[in-house]
Amino acid sequence: MAESYPSLAQCAIVATAFKILLFPAYQSTDFEVHRNWLAITHSLPVKEWYYERTSEWTLDYPPFFAAFEWVLSQLAQYADPAMLVVKNLEYDSWQTIYFQRATVIMTELVLLYALNKFVNSVPASSKHLAHAASLSILLSPGLLIIDHIHFQYNGFLYGILILSIVWARKQSTLLYSGIAFAVLLCLKHIYLYLSLAYFVFLLRAYCLDPKSVFRPRIWNTIKLGVSVATVFGVAFGPFAYWGQLVQLKERLFPFSRGLCHAYWAPNVWAMYSFTDRILIPLAPRLGLPVNHDALSSVTRGLVGDTSFAVLPEVSKEHTFALTLLFQVLPLIKLWRNPYPNTFIGALTLCGYASFLFGWHVHEKAILLIIIPFSLIAVKDRRYFSAFRPLAVAGHVSLFPLLFTAAEFPLKTVYTLFWLILFLFVFDRIAPVPERPRIFLVDRFSLLYITVSIPLIIYCSLIHQLVFGLERYQFLPLMFMSSYSALGVVGSWVGFMVVYFTA
Amino acid sequence: MATNSASYRPRKKRKSAALFAGSNNSLTVDSGEGKSTPAFPLVSFQWGARAGVSQWLVLPLTLMAVGLFRWAVSLWGYSGFQVPPMHGDFEAQRHWMEITIHLPLSKWYTYDLQYWGLDYPPLTAYHSWLLGKIGSIFDPTWFALDDSRGLEDPLLKVFMRATVIVSEYLIYIPAIVTFLRRYTRMQAVPVWSASIALSAILLQPATILIDHGHFQFNTVMLGLFVASLDAILAGRMLWACIFFVGALGFKQMALYYAPVMFAFLLGVCTVPRFRPVRLLCISLVTIVAFAVLLLPLILGATGAEATKYLELTTEPPLLQALPIELDRASSLYAILFQVAQVIHRIFPFSRGLFEDKVANAWCAIHTFYKLHTFESEFLKRLSLGATLASISIPCGIIFRHPRASILLPAFATVAWGFFLFSFQVHEKSVLLPLLPMTLLIAGDGGLEKDTRAWVGWANMLGSWTLYPLLKRDGLQVPYFVMTYLWAYLLGLPPTSWQIYRHQTPSDESGTATEPHVFAKVIHSAFYLAMLVWHVLEAFVPPPPGKPDLWVVLNVIIGAGGFGISYLWCLWRLIIQGWSLDTHAEDARKKNQ
Repeated sequence: MAESYPSLAQCAIVATAFKILLFPAYQSTDFEVHRNWLAITHSLPVKEWYYERTSEWTLDYPPFFAAFEWVLSQLAQYADPAMLVVKNLEYDSWQTIYFQRATVIMTELVLLYALNKFVNSVPASSKHLAHAASLSILLSPGLLIIDHIHFQYNGFLYGILILSIVWARKQSTLLYSGIAFAVLLCLKHIYLYLSLAYFVFLLRAYCLDPKSVFRPRIWNTIKLGVSVATVFGVAFGPFAYWGQLVQLKERLFPFSRGLCHAYWAPNVWAMYSFTDRILIPLAPRLGLPVNHDALSSVTRGLVGDTSFAVLPEVSKEHTFALTLLFQVLPLIKLWRNPYPNTFIGALTLCGYASFLFGWHVHEKAILLIIIPFSLIAVKDRRYFSAFRPLAVAGHVSLFPLLFTAAEFPLKTVYTLFWLILFLFVFDRIAPVPERPRIFLVDRFSLLYITVSIPLIIYCSLIHQLVFGLERYQFLPLMFMSSYSALGVVGSWVGFMVVYFTA
Repeated sequence: MATNSASYRPRKKRKSAALFAGSNNSLTVDSGEGKSTPAFPLVSFQWGARAGVSQWLVLPLTLMAVGLFRWAVSLWGYSGFQVPPMHGDFEAQRHWMEITIHLPLSKWYTYDLQYWGLDYPPLTAYHSWLLGKIGSIFDPTWFALDDSRGLEDPLLKVFMRATVIVSEYLIYIPAIVTFLRRYTRMQAVPVWSASIALSAILLQPATILIDHGHFQFNTVMLGLFVASLDAILAGRMLWACIFFVGALGFKQMALYYAPVMFAFLLGVCTVPRFRPVRLLCISLVTIVAFAVLLLPLILGATGAEATKYLELTTEPPLLQALPIELDRASSLYAILFQVAQVIHRIFPFSRGLFEDKVANAWCAIHTFYKLHTFESEFLKRLSLGATLASISIPCGIIFRHPRASILLPAFATVAWGFFLFSFQVHEKSVLLPLLPMTLLIAGDGGLEKDTRAWVGWANMLGSWTLYPLLKRDGLQVPYFVMTYLWAYLLGLPPTSWQIYRHQTPSDESGTATEPHVFAKVIHSAFYLAMLVWHVLEAFVPPPPGKPDLWVVLNVIIGAGGFGISYLWCLWRLIIQGWSLDTHAEDARKKNQ
C-alpha cells in the first residue's frame, strides 16, 4: 500500500496553524499552575520544589515533570523573565501566553514522532488503518480542548505512551518500552492506572519464556529491573536522600478529596449520584430512609464531597477494590495471551476500570481510554462499534471544561467535525470481523449519538434561558455526565465482550 | 480522507464523468512507478474524496473547517481595540446598531455625524438595525444610546464576531457554493476539483483577516455580488439585477463591479439583436429594487415629526446645488433631503484623492512626485479619466460578447482598474478585485499551475499590502498564520517553489499549462521582495525623518504587483474574447 494522504506531517502543519490561532483563547487555572511551576523550578533549589507554597497551585507532579518545567524555564527567561518570579501570581503577559502555548505545540512533536513510528511499525496490509487511527489521535478534540485551550501538556505525555506501546510490539524493543513507561510514570503519575497492564505484560513477555511460564529469562529480568530502578532512582533518589519522600507522597496523592471531581467525570459514580438524585423524591413512597444532611447541601455535585441521600455511601476502599477487580480480569487474559494487540486492549480496559470506578477521577482522564483504544479501534468492525459511543461520550464529556462563550463554537464545531470525519472514515475502512458480531448495539449506539444533539443544546443554551445562569447550575453538568457515563459504560461493556471473545 | 482503500469503491456515477476526467490531471503528479501523488497539499486533504464521496459529507466538513479558522481568527484583536476616543471599524459597526435601533429613520443619516455617522448605504443600516435588535435581547447595555460608545465588553465582542460569521454563512457561503456548483458544471470541471477549489476560495486570507480580524461585513456585499453572478449563470437576469442592487445597497464599494454588470446587461439586450422588452424589464427591475431599498427611509422622512426635524437640519450640499427653491416644510422637501443626505454620506466627494497609504497608482506616484501641487478638481478629473481608460477595454469586450463564461476576468480587470486609479480607495478594497480573480481557479484548468500561481500570488500580495493595517489591529499572528496556510495549501512560495518547476502530470497527455518564464521571474521577484520587506520591517528601524519608509515601500511594491495583476486579468479576458471571436467566425463560415 502506498503512502496515504494527507500525511501526518501535513495534518500537523494545518493543525499547528489552527492551534497558533488559539493563543488568545480562554485558559483555565492550569495555565497559572504551569506558570507557577516554571517559576518554582527556575528560582528555587531542587530541595525546596516540593515545599514551596506561595501559590495555592503547588507542585504536585512527579520529579521528571518538574525537571521538564525547569528545562522550559531556561528558555522562558528569554521570553519574559517576569513569569519566572514565584510571587508574580496570575502573571499573564502576552509573552508568557505565547511562550507557554508555544511549548505545548512544540512538545507535541513527540506525539507526532510516536504516531509516525506507530504507522511504520504495522505491516503494510493494515498501514492505512494505522494511518487513519494516527490522524484521529493527532487531531483529537480531546487534546485540542485540554492542551491547546484549557492548557496542559498531554500531547507530549501521550506521545511517550504511544512510543512505549510501539516498542512493546516487538520482542527486541520490549526493554525500551518498559523504560519509556517508567519515565512516563515519573512525569505524570496518572499513568499508574495503566501500570498493572505493563507489569503483567513485561513480566510475561519479557521476563518469562513465551512458551512456558516456568522458565524465567534471568538476564532480561535483570536488565529490566535495573533500568526501571535506575529511572526511578534518578527521579526520586535525590528526594529520598533528603528525606522528602513523605512530602512528595502528600503532594502527589492528596487523598483528602471527594469521590467525584468538581465537574463529574462520566463514570459509574456519576450514574450513582444521578440515581440517588432521582430517588430522593421517590424515597418516601418506596419507604427508603433519606439522609437530610445531603439534601440541604445546595452545591451538590459542584464541590468535591458528594454525599448521598438515599443510596449508601461509597468509600475509598470500595472504589479501590472495584478498580482492581476490573483491571485484573482483562490481565488474566493478557497473561495467557501476551501479544501486542491484547496488550493494547488490556491497557484500554485498565484505563476503563480506573476511570469508571476510581476515586476522584478527572474528566480529562478519559484520554487514558480514548488514546490507547484509538490505536486498535479500526482493527475490525466489532472494535469500531465499541469505540463509537466512547468517541462521542468521551469528547462531549469534556465540554464543561470550557464554559466561556467565545470557546463554545470552537469546542462544539471542532468535535463535531472530528466525529463526522473519523466515524465516517473508520466506518468505511474498518474490515469485516473474522467472527460474527455477538450483539446488536448498532441501533442503540445510533440512538445514543442522536440524543447528544438536543442534550448539548439544552445544556449550553436552553437551561440558561429557562433558569438563568445561577439556578440549578448542577443540572446540566449532571445530565451531561450521566449521559456521557452511559456511553462510556456502554462502550466498556461492548469492548469487554470483544476483548474476551477475540 | 486519509486512505487509499477508498479506491476500491465503485466510482460514483456522475453525468459524463469520463468526459471531464482529464481536468483532474493537474491535481496529481506522477511520482514514478506509476503512482500518482497530490500536486499540492490542499489536494492531499481531499485525497480520500477523489473516488467520489458524497457532497453531503465533503461540503459540511469543508464549511466546518473554514468556519473554525474564521472563528479562531476572530479571537484576536479588532480595529480600534483600546484606542479611544474614536476606536475603529468595530466601534463604527456597533455604533450603527446603536443608532438604528434607538433613532427614527429620519435621523439615521444625520445623527452626530462627527462620531461615526452612518456613511454606508441603506441595506447596511437595516442589517445593523436587525443585529442591534437581536443583540439587545442578550444585553441592552451593549447598544444603549450614547452611553455605549467605546464599549469593550468581551461578551459584546463575541456577539459582534458572531454577527459577522452568521451573516457570512447566510449570504456569502451559500452564494459561493451555488455559484461554484453551476460554474464548475458549466466549465465541465469534475466534482473533486470543484470541492478543492471551494476550500481554496473559502480560505482566501485577505477576506478572513479583514472581516473576522479587522472587523467588517465585506462578505455580505461580496456574497450578494456572487449571488448576482450565479443568477447570471442561471440565466435569471432580473434576479441578477436585484442581487446586484442589494450588493450596491450594502456597500457602495460594489460600484467597482458595476461597469461590467452594466455592459453585460446592456450587451445581453443588444447583441446579437436589440431586445427592447428585455432592456425595459431590466431597467424597471433595477429601478424598483432601488426604490424598495430606499422606501423605508423615504417613508421614515414623511411623518410630521420627521419633516419638522429635517426642516431644521442643515441642507446636504446636493440639495443646495438644486436650481429650484423648495418649501422646507413640505414633505417633498423631506424626502429629497433624505435621499440627498444618504447620497452625500455614501459618496464623500469632498475628500482627497487617497486617504491612508494604499497600494494604488496615485499613492505610488505621490511618493516620487507630490500630487498635492495640483488642484483637487484636476486630480478628480485625472482619476476619472484614468479609471475610465482602464475599464473601457474590458467593458467593451463584455458588451461585444455578453457571455457568462468570460465575466470573471472582466470583473477582476475592472475592479483592479478601479482599485488602481479611482478616487478615495481604501486598502481593504483589494478584496473586490481579488474575489473574481480567485474564483477563476474553479474554472476549467483553474487549478493547473499557471492560474494557480497567478491567483495565489495576487492573494499573497493582497494580504501583504494589508499588513500595515493588520499590524495596527494587533493581527500580526493571524496574518502570518493565514497567509502561510494559504501558501502552504496551494503549494506556493515561501513554502514551496514546486509550482514554478517543471513536473510531469500523472497522465501522459501533458497538456497542463505551466507558468510562463516571464511569470516565474516576476513572481519570484515579488515573493522575495515581500520576504525581505518583512525582515526589514521587523528588525530594521526606518531611518529618522522617514518613519513611513517601510509602509511606503509596501505601497509601491503592492501597486506594481496589482498593476501586473490588472494586466494579467485583462490579457486573459482578451484571449478569451478573441477565441469567442474566432469561434463566431468559424461558425459563420460553416453556415455559408
